[in-house]
Amino acid sequence: MLDGQIVVSGLTKVYGEVRAVDDLSFTVQPGRVTGFLGPNGAGKTTTLRMILNLVTPTAGTATIGGRRYCDLREPLREVGAILEASSAHRGRTARNHLRVICAAAGFPLSRADEVLELTGLRSAAKRKFRGYSLGMRQRLGIAAAMLGDPRVLILDEPANGLDPEGIRWMRDLLRALASEGRTILVSSHLLSEMELLADDVVIIADGRLAGHGEVAGMVSGRAVGERVRVRTPHPEKLLAELGSEVTAQSDPSGLLMVTGISAPAVGAAALRAGVELHELVAERPDLEDVFLELTAGRAAIR
Amino acid sequence: MIRLIRSELMKVRTTNVWLVFTIGVLLSAAIMAIIWINVGSSQIDEARIMFAVPEELSPKEKEEWIRTHDLGPILANTAAQIYTSGQFLGILFVMLLGAIVVTNEYHHQTATATFLATPKRTKVIVAKLITAISFAGFYWLVTTVFNGVLGILFFFSEGYDPQLGDWTVIRAVLMNGLAFGLWGILGVALGVLIRNQIGAVITGSVLYVVGSYAIILVYGLIYAFWIKKQWILSSMVIWPSMASQIMVSPEKVYPQSPDWWVGALVLVGYGIVFGTIGTMIARKRDVS
Repeated sequence: MLDGQIVVSGLTKVYGEVRAVDDLSFTVQPGRVTGFLGPNGAGKTTTLRMILNLVTPTAGTATIGGRRYCDLREPLREVGAILEASSAHRGRTARNHLRVICAAAGFPLSRADEVLELTGLRSAAKRKFRGYSLGMRQRLGIAAAMLGDPRVLILDEPANGLDPEGIRWMRDLLRALASEGRTILVSSHLLSEMELLADDVVIIADGRLAGHGEVAGMVSGRAVGERVRVRTPHPEKLLAELGSEVTAQSDPSGLLMVTGISAPAVGAAALRAGVELHELVAERPDLEDVFLELTAGRAAIR
Repeated sequence: MIRLIRSELMKVRTTNVWLVFTIGVLLSAAIMAIIWINVGSSQIDEARIMFAVPEELSPKEKEEWIRTHDLGPILANTAAQIYTSGQFLGILFVMLLGAIVVTNEYHHQTATATFLATPKRTKVIVAKLITAISFAGFYWLVTTVFNGVLGILFFFSEGYDPQLGDWTVIRAVLMNGLAFGLWGILGVALGVLIRNQIGAVITGSVLYVVGSYAIILVYGLIYAFWIKKQWILSSMVIWPSMASQIMVSPEKVYPQSPDWWVGALVLVGYGIVFGTIGTMIARKRDVS
């Protein structure tokens, strides 16, 4: 099998008047978790569905390991996918749902029990799908995606409906899978979760690429810069000591947001001025700031 | 392809749809068999009285009478009716099963999983067609054996030959099988064209059940008030439900009806055309 690089190039999908995805290009590297972020309606799901040949692109291509999904000889052995609408027949048991997929893909039916074990669903294997909670359904989706032990995993909002324990389980699982050299592309709108999970991010807004790169690099390399939050009963005295080098915003409660200076320097200035401090916090920009900056003003409703 | 068909068959077997349908098919076969046995029995009794050789005839006249008053066709017709009992509802069930095999994928949002496992969608549709045909064949076999046993018991108890060697009877049974299979195909095509489960089921049922009556009514009116030509009535065969009846009926459904094979060709044509259109639509359509 070829390496599990996902290459999206010039991908476009037009629905009537709306360009849901507009000339989108990015690559996803194996051995890393890539977060796929964007506001609601940005075209994340459509993009993932085009990569998986479920939606036909208006233009452009998407390849996995150099081949289009529909040209993969054994797709489930190469790519596992969990999409938002991952579902099963309500009257069918989870085990039978997986066995149906095994039969279609030519896997031994016993593989169904193995993935049920892997996802902690063994005790609910013979329960019908209609009795599954949202969290269990997500686990079943992962079980289905893991049937072929694929090199590439594509997940659309997998954390939806998971409880905190489930989210942690998912994070550990995806990190472990990436460390085995697999390609993990996961869409989400939970930015704090993505900051913990992803190595790289692809950010889209309005169907177009808004940002692409390593999480660490993107966060530290932003113009947003570091801000220091200071609370003091005498803000004007502290500002006088800080001088004109810094810019500060203040509010009546005595809270100052200072940029252009580090937190220790603010502390030292306060000591020199003899000003009492109630709070001194260095606020680093996080993925959320980057995300909001990149997608600002690109409304989700089009 | 084999594994896809296996997967599709498993899909049907792992829900209770097929069980409900099997019970429905058998129940309708049983009820109709009992009705046809009763109808056939009184027809045969009537004919036997009417066909009884009058004593007053001369030996030569008697010979002529026996030759022209043959009970054979009546027995064969009765046998064909009994052996294909439950056909009307059985075919309806087969068509609905064919439709549900497709609409289930959308209704339960499993189309995604199906097309991820098999991105070549033509193969999926072909597997579904084969699955529908397989179940049609299964239902045909089960109802034929079931009706066959009832019918043979009836003929033996009445002291007649069960007519198993008669071509009209064999043809009726075979055409019954063909009808089951073809309606299975039409059902799959219907499911592709109308993705909504309830929509497909209602449309299919209405077209099938009400269809033939509506057609007879409309054509009857056209014939009576507009174009008084025999071919108008003959051309009713272009409608699937009429074609099906013309194909399976051992006797002509109505005097102007074309031969059974015309009905068969029409229905095969529908199967091919709609099967192809359905496959082409499924290939192009976005799954979301």
